[in-house]
Amino acid sequence: MSSTTDPNPTNVPLGHAYDGIREYDNPLPGWWKWLFVITVVVSPFYLLYFHVGATGRSLQEQYQVAMDENQRKKYADLPPLTADAATLMKFKDDAKWTEVGKAIFKTNCVSCHGAEGAGVIGPNLCDENYKHIKTISDITKVINEGVAGGAMPAWSTRIPNKNDIIMLSAYVASLRGSNPAKPKGPDGSPIAPWSADE
Amino acid sequence: MFPTTSFDRKLSVMSQTSLTASESEALEQFSYDDAIVRLFVTATIFWGIVGTSVGVLVAVLLVMPSISDMFRSDIGAMLSFARLRPLHTNAAIFAFAGNAIFAAVYYSTQRLCKCSMWSWTLGRLHFWGWQAIIVAAAVTLPLGITQSKEYAELEWPIDLAIAVVWLLFFGVNFMMTLLTRRERHLYVALWFYIATIVTVTILHVFNNLVVPTGWGKSYSVYAGVQDALMQWWYGHNAVAFFLTTPFLGLMYYFLPKAADRPVFSYKLSIIHFWSLVFIYIWAGPHHLHYTALPEWASTFGMLFSVMLWMPSWGGMINGLLTLRGAWHKVTTDPVLKFFVVGITFYGMATFEGPMLSIKSVNALSHYTDWTIAHVHSGALGWNGFMTFGMIYWLLPRLYQTKLWSTKLAEWHFWIGTIAILLYIIPIYAAGITQGLMWRALKPNGDLMYNFLETVQQIVPFWWTRVGAGSLYVVGVLMLAFNAVMTWMSRPAKYDVPVYSAPRLPKAYVDPSIPKSSLAGTPVLELATKLDTVTHMDWHRRWERLPVRFTIFTALAVLLASALELVPMFLIRSNIPTISTVKPYTPLELAGRDIYVSEGCYNCHSQMIRPMVAEKLMYGEFSKAGESVYDHPFQWGSRRIGPDLARIGITQQSGLWHWRHFENPSYISEGSVMPSYRHLLEEKLNYNEIEKRVRAAQFLGATYAFDPKDSAEVARKQAEKVAAEIVTQGGPVEYNGHLTKDSTAIALIAYLQRVGTDLFKTEEPAAPITPGATEAPAPATPEAMAGIIAGDEQAGSQ
Repeated sequence: MSSTTDPNPTNVPLGHAYDGIREYDNPLPGWWKWLFVITVVVSPFYLLYFHVGATGRSLQEQYQVAMDENQRKKYADLPPLTADAATLMKFKDDAKWTEVGKAIFKTNCVSCHGAEGAGVIGPNLCDENYKHIKTISDITKVINEGVAGGAMPAWSTRIPNKNDIIMLSAYVASLRGSNPAKPKGPDGSPIAPWSADE
Repeated sequence: MFPTTSFDRKLSVMSQTSLTASESEALEQFSYDDAIVRLFVTATIFWGIVGTSVGVLVAVLLVMPSISDMFRSDIGAMLSFARLRPLHTNAAIFAFAGNAIFAAVYYSTQRLCKCSMWSWTLGRLHFWGWQAIIVAAAVTLPLGITQSKEYAELEWPIDLAIAVVWLLFFGVNFMMTLLTRRERHLYVALWFYIATIVTVTILHVFNNLVVPTGWGKSYSVYAGVQDALMQWWYGHNAVAFFLTTPFLGLMYYFLPKAADRPVFSYKLSIIHFWSLVFIYIWAGPHHLHYTALPEWASTFGMLFSVMLWMPSWGGMINGLLTLRGAWHKVTTDPVLKFFVVGITFYGMATFEGPMLSIKSVNALSHYTDWTIAHVHSGALGWNGFMTFGMIYWLLPRLYQTKLWSTKLAEWHFWIGTIAILLYIIPIYAAGITQGLMWRALKPNGDLMYNFLETVQQIVPFWWTRVGAGSLYVVGVLMLAFNAVMTWMSRPAKYDVPVYSAPRLPKAYVDPSIPKSSLAGTPVLELATKLDTVTHMDWHRRWERLPVRFTIFTALAVLLASALELVPMFLIRSNIPTISTVKPYTPLELAGRDIYVSEGCYNCHSQMIRPMVAEKLMYGEFSKAGESVYDHPFQWGSRRIGPDLARIGITQQSGLWHWRHFENPSYISEGSVMPSYRHLLEEKLNYNEIEKRVRAAQFLGATYAFDPKDSAEVARKQAEKVAAEIVTQGGPVEYNGHLTKDSTAIALIAYLQRVGTDLFKTEEPAAPITPGATEAPAPATPEAMAGIIAGDEQAGSQ
């Protein structure tokens, strides 16, 4: 019935039929054929470009460049710092740099210390009590080396940039005296206020 | 192109056909076994309801993980997204799509071969065997019995059953039917069925090679990178040869039947069939871009995926253009509506696939819901709708009555179409949103969001999926209702028409290949030859030789597989070893088995990609040498939760893990992880550990202690892990037993180890005898370091 409505009446199906199914032998659509040819022809060139010869094209090399750039950009206007009390005291009151510390804190620390540092499994960082910290530079030491048998892990492997650790320490120091929503009870004992003298 | 030539060819074919018919002697009588098709159609509808409903269930569990808390913890354990997601995928693929394939094959093969299936008994064994396998899957997966390889989760005894049912029952019955056929040439649908049977067998066998340690537990013989490559060679080609080729076969039979139109192009069928079969098999590594897989393999995966675009579209074109001159029927016939939309989704998904395999696109899409939206446009649109179209076409023919309600079928079509769009559009949005949030950096280079924020952003999209999925289930229920009502008005006794056709005479002369129209013209002889080859007339001969056709298909698949897989296993530099990476301790091994059993890989990857944002979020990117003891690999494919490849570095606190398993939202408010308190409540079976250590040893792990002492060594480590938890303020006792006896302790020990070896410095291991109280085992420097630190800690307090 509908075979009479063939859009191309000069086109006749091939002679065979399978359970009544017949087949035309239409040529391959040109766009189909050429797109197929192009994908096949272009592929070896891609392979050669990325895998033979020039260096700097592998994913890992590109990553290294991007990572170096990321770290360089972040501390472009700061030299590599030393984690002494004076440095930490300076940066804990510098809003521009505590923002940097806060970003690192949000990525790495909130699962134990809570979004606002109020403490969950890890201690509250907002009150006057501290467990392994007596002075402001102890913060850096605890972050770098960890305490409590690794319950607080050593972050120096995870965050190798020393400036990152300093900004994080400064941010943690700045949390002291803040009023988070749901503070955990005090851990450890009260310590003297942060001071540049050690 | 060359009208004279092709007309000649047609004439010669026609005269040949009539000649063989007149040559033949007595006509043989035969009829078709439609009872087996009725069985498979019924099973398709039944598992369609189950598969899609479990899909809705896991979608609900994702947004309301606390549901499992309403049950006793051992029941609740079975109601976790991670255990049930494999049930959903297996039910959708192997139960729903699988039975649909079998219905299509059994119905069309008999008619295309002009004979009944070779064996009535093998058909029944196939049907009931396959249903038993599905039931076994539905029982074992919620119990946590799993190999943890996606779409190959079922444990080895079920795998053996699959091999027997698939190859010996189905494969043999199908091939013998081809050999006893009364139709000289094989129609294109049968080529696709052949490719399906051959390739699925190869994939299934090689991806499931394991070392069993019991009826419900085994270890993949491959580890890490190689296991990942094997798995995605399998996983991708499960999509290719379970969800694509058989459905193309289905399309080639049922679409021209329903439309009553000749197929658009025989030549296109040939070219897209062979290019699909040869190219598809390479594409697997595109699931592993930016991972520890060597980059060359990843590049191959990408390039072959891009080359696959047109071969895939060949099927779509041949389907849609077959409808030329029949489009007016689409407006009135729900069968054709389902086919048109199904094929359109096939076209969309097979464009999207190559696009997602481009590395820079994949960098954004991988681990996100984009992949989930992609597979659902394929599964709901292509597989679902092709199946529904086929069933609506079959119902009146199988039950020899009118379809109960064409109107209801129309409604199913529209509801299903709307459901697919409501499903995929928000999930695409969720995928792209989360992908962009993961990589979002502040101007100074810091991360913009932490992981939890990116999850909370997309939870509303997950809610819309619950609605859309339910709507799709409603459609399937409408089909079921229509099928039952049609069945009710069946005749008292089915009419079984008897057909007659001559047996194929042995002697057969192939029609001569027509001369090229270039012959005799002033062109190179090569051009004339090329013209003849590209006309594809030589292929006609292959089509009457099913054994040879099968062998050629198998060779195409095996050759492509070997070219890609063999170098990965033979070239040492593909997986640079890291001297500090050591085997897991007995307790960690037990913990890893729990990780596998709970299906943690369904939500957590263990593979950090070399990207700035990933480095900032998770730490140093994963190296190939780090997973050499991972049988099976646990790289994962979707990050519903954060990556865990460096969890041992970032979360050493046993108490944190303990509390987190007990109630994740106590630790992270807004977490979508369910409670795993059953791990705290259950006691670890130490008797199992020795077998597993021996299996690890067999697979290449070296231990300084005697495997006989495995349980003892594990107990020592468990005591230390538990002691730390207690020191940190955790409970001494839980659910009537000591904390150290909890299953969770093993899992915690494993998590404390993951990703740490890379940063260790190699120390000469001091020989320590097992049973000594100072340290559990020399094979665990990490555990020792933890113990030493722990002791200092205890002393200082």
